[in-house]
Amino acid sequence: MSMEASELQDLSDDADYAASQQQGSASMMRCDSGKRSSPSEHDDAELIYLKDNVAIHPTQFASERISGRLKLTKQDSVLFLSWIPYKGQTSNAKLSEKDRSLYTITAVPFTEVRSIRRHTPALGWQYVIVVLTSGLAFPPLYFYNGGVREFLAIVKQHVFLARSAEDANVFLVNDFQSPLQRTLSSLELPSSLPVASGQYPSDGGTSNDNQGRASADVGNRVSSVNQYGLRKQKSHDPTRDLSIHLLEKFSLVTKFARDTTTQLFSENNGFGSIDKRWNNQPVHSYPEKLSNIAEEKHQESPHSYLDNDPFKDEEIANNVDVPDDPLEVNKLSLVWGKPRQPPMGRKEFTAFLDSEGRVVESKALRERVFYGGIEHQLRSEVWPFLLGYYAYDSTYAEREYLRSVKQMEYATLKQQWQSISPEQAKRFTKYRERKGLIDKDVVRTDRAFEYYEGDENLNVNIMRDILLTYSFYNFDLGYCQGMSDYLSPILYVMENESESFWCFVALMERLGPNFNRDQNGMHTQLFALSKLVELLDTPLHNYFKQNDCLNYFFCFRWILIQFKREFEYEKTMQLWEVLWTHYHSEHLHLYVCVAILKRCRSKIMGEQMDFDTLLKFINELSGHIDLESTVRDAEALCICAGENGAASIPPGTPPSLPLDDIMLYPLEDDVL
Amino acid sequence: MPSRRRTLLKVIILGDSGVGKTSLMNQYVNKKFSNQYKATIGADFLTKEVQFEDRLFTLQIWDTAGQERFQSLGVAFYRGADCCVLVYDVNSMKSFDNLNNWREEFLIQASPSDPENFPFVLIGNKVDVDGGNSRVVSEKKAKAWCASKGNIPYFETSAKEGTNVEEAFQCIAKNALKSGEEEELYLPDTIDVGTSNQQRSTGCEC
Ligand SMILES: Nc1nc2c(ncn2[C@@H]2O[C@H](COP(=O)(O)OP(=O)(O)OP(=O)(O)O)[C@@H](O)[C@H]2O)c(=O)[nH]1
Ligand SMILES: [Mg+2]
Repeated sequence: MSMEASELQDLSDDADYAASQQQGSASMMRCDSGKRSSPSEHDDAELIYLKDNVAIHPTQFASERISGRLKLTKQDSVLFLSWIPYKGQTSNAKLSEKDRSLYTITAVPFTEVRSIRRHTPALGWQYVIVVLTSGLAFPPLYFYNGGVREFLAIVKQHVFLARSAEDANVFLVNDFQSPLQRTLSSLELPSSLPVASGQYPSDGGTSNDNQGRASADVGNRVSSVNQYGLRKQKSHDPTRDLSIHLLEKFSLVTKFARDTTTQLFSENNGFGSIDKRWNNQPVHSYPEKLSNIAEEKHQESPHSYLDNDPFKDEEIANNVDVPDDPLEVNKLSLVWGKPRQPPMGRKEFTAFLDSEGRVVESKALRERVFYGGIEHQLRSEVWPFLLGYYAYDSTYAEREYLRSVKQMEYATLKQQWQSISPEQAKRFTKYRERKGLIDKDVVRTDRAFEYYEGDENLNVNIMRDILLTYSFYNFDLGYCQGMSDYLSPILYVMENESESFWCFVALMERLGPNFNRDQNGMHTQLFALSKLVELLDTPLHNYFKQNDCLNYFFCFRWILIQFKREFEYEKTMQLWEVLWTHYHSEHLHLYVCVAILKRCRSKIMGEQMDFDTLLKFINELSGHIDLESTVRDAEALCICAGENGAASIPPGTPPSLPLDDIMLYPLEDDVL
Repeated sequence: MPSRRRTLLKVIILGDSGVGKTSLMNQYVNKKFSNQYKATIGADFLTKEVQFEDRLFTLQIWDTAGQERFQSLGVAFYRGADCCVLVYDVNSMKSFDNLNNWREEFLIQASPSDPENFPFVLIGNKVDVDGGNSRVVSEKKAKAWCASKGNIPYFETSAKEGTNVEEAFQCIAKNALKSGEEEELYLPDTIDVGTSNQQRSTGCEC
């Protein structure tokens, strides 16, 4: 605790800080036009703003950061944002040069920026998050020396910046209120060209002719596109290098895996049983489109590669040349992912506790749950630990005391809305609206599941009461659709109103940002997902890029409610308890996304799915995803991605605990 | 000008959470109503084949989440829409008051080439509730709003009972088709935002 605090405040012995002091430009400065910017940029770019000591945090540890220089430049009346990490100084040995360059932002035109979210806590560092029109967002940029306000003021001088009506901390870029104005402005601004203009960046070399002066002459539209293309296609694109490097590492693993699988296959155990499981799937119940996933499973076997096409009606897929999966997850997971164990029972759980009821080794317990889950009757005792409602080192007695205290606290909270009279409610629009939303949603939540079935179901009412109470407990966040999806299994497991409430509270401490007004929590996760796919399946990433799918909105539902709508009820609970262990990573759910996408990659690319088709395809996967093999793949991917994977996920990405807990859900303030 | 035969018509359904967007879409496409639809998260679409004068079209109907917080997703889904259906619940004033927001948000995010003449259709849903006794938005009020927005066609429906749903979507499809055809003839270098408002009458006479 004390160590963290010192890391938060003390910059005096920080190498980056010292370096920036030496560079003599620790504070903002404005430059005249014509002033040279760094040689990597166009000569005629005008430097508008420069700020040193702006950092990103590649991991959740405050001490691991990459400091750099934030710049605004202007060229052909387009404003560009860039952030370049400092070279050569390392604040922490664990951060490699590659980590540094992974996040480099090179000249993003503001025509590609949708909004800037500002975070200026009273204590701790200020940061901004830049969200692109594609829906992606860059990781938070921390202003160690302050100055977010100045930054925004400068941006405002050059682009149209409007405060979002939804959230006072969000500034919309070039978002004109009237459609007419917007139409007019789109005539003069080089905006609205698709980001991925169909170039395939795999060979890096081709785009070099686009560089330099030639593009500047062609006019605004073209040059902004080239700028962007340049950013992504530079021959030393760090992310590409990273993947290549990673793949070298992986290829060893893959070879090892292939040997192992061949062996397994010939012995007709492990591998064979997976094959069999998939053959046993009721294929006839698949929507036709989905059958190819089963086919992918077939391809695990070296034999079906040869005799090809077990599903004859899938010829379209085979006509298109689908790039190989660089990671061959099916094989990896046999090496890295452990097979699932039977769920943990009471006797086993008790063995994790000392005589007074403390969990002696929480990591061992979490490991056990990760690999096998929990017997249903035991869930109500273990979930509160996983969710963080119970402390692992609490005793039986302490937990009992906690329960009774929390029950009273819950009753008090509930009183707050229960005591609202009809007369008061008439004058309390916000309350009425929230209640209305919750009323509408609880009757649409899992009503086919026996626990919530039927008219006048009491459990549905309890769910309503809990959600309404939560919206008072966390008035800033309020209620948002998707929350009832999370609460439903918790209430079903806990079977106690107050306990369910507090478990839900604990879960929302981590996942609340999913429901934030600015959708920031979702944007960060979608960004991290795109980085992970780029790392773990470059051909698929390139495909998404080419087909305008990089916003990953087709994974929105997966992430918002952690696959609640994708699996049947019992399977969802199994998945959640695995995710909640945070055993390999807090972000295993993102690796689950990658695992599913990889399973479908040949289908997606083979059929040349566009955004719409892909969205529909993903939505229809619901109910057809095999949980066990998916979790195993996800584990394997997570282990293989290792630190590079972790570094792809910006700090504070849900379900990580928020970086600073002052003003979790900021609503209003009047800077700018 | 050789016209590219359009076969796909894209329709977006917008409106507050719980007004019955998902129910309407399912009633139209699958002729079913269920009390067990879940709140929509993200977006989804259904398709239906429709025929006009021996030409076949695929109507692609997009159903999005009604919760305001998810609106920033719109950008990805609204693009290329041929018609936008606004839905409110005749028993909820708030859902009616929000129509302006939905309309504007759509125009901003979809940025159609000719926002002044982009086809909208308004649906007042749930007319069955309580035999109409809990109704708070009158037909007159709704029609006045439609008139003020350039004569948007208006329908009152019950997704639950299937009342008027087919008729509403017929009109929606026709409007989408019309807008699609206009687009075919549309020359990009003659952008003229100031053209006079085309009059569209209430109901559907096209
Ligand atoms: N009585 C009646 N109820 C309806 C009608 N249409 C929808 N409902 C009910 O209203 C509730 C909401 O319907 P949905 O179709 O899920 O609403 P939605 O607009 O899709 O809501 P979101 O997905 O949250 O944006 C459900 O409980 C439906 O059963 C109708 O015409 N009459
Ligand atoms: Mg819906």
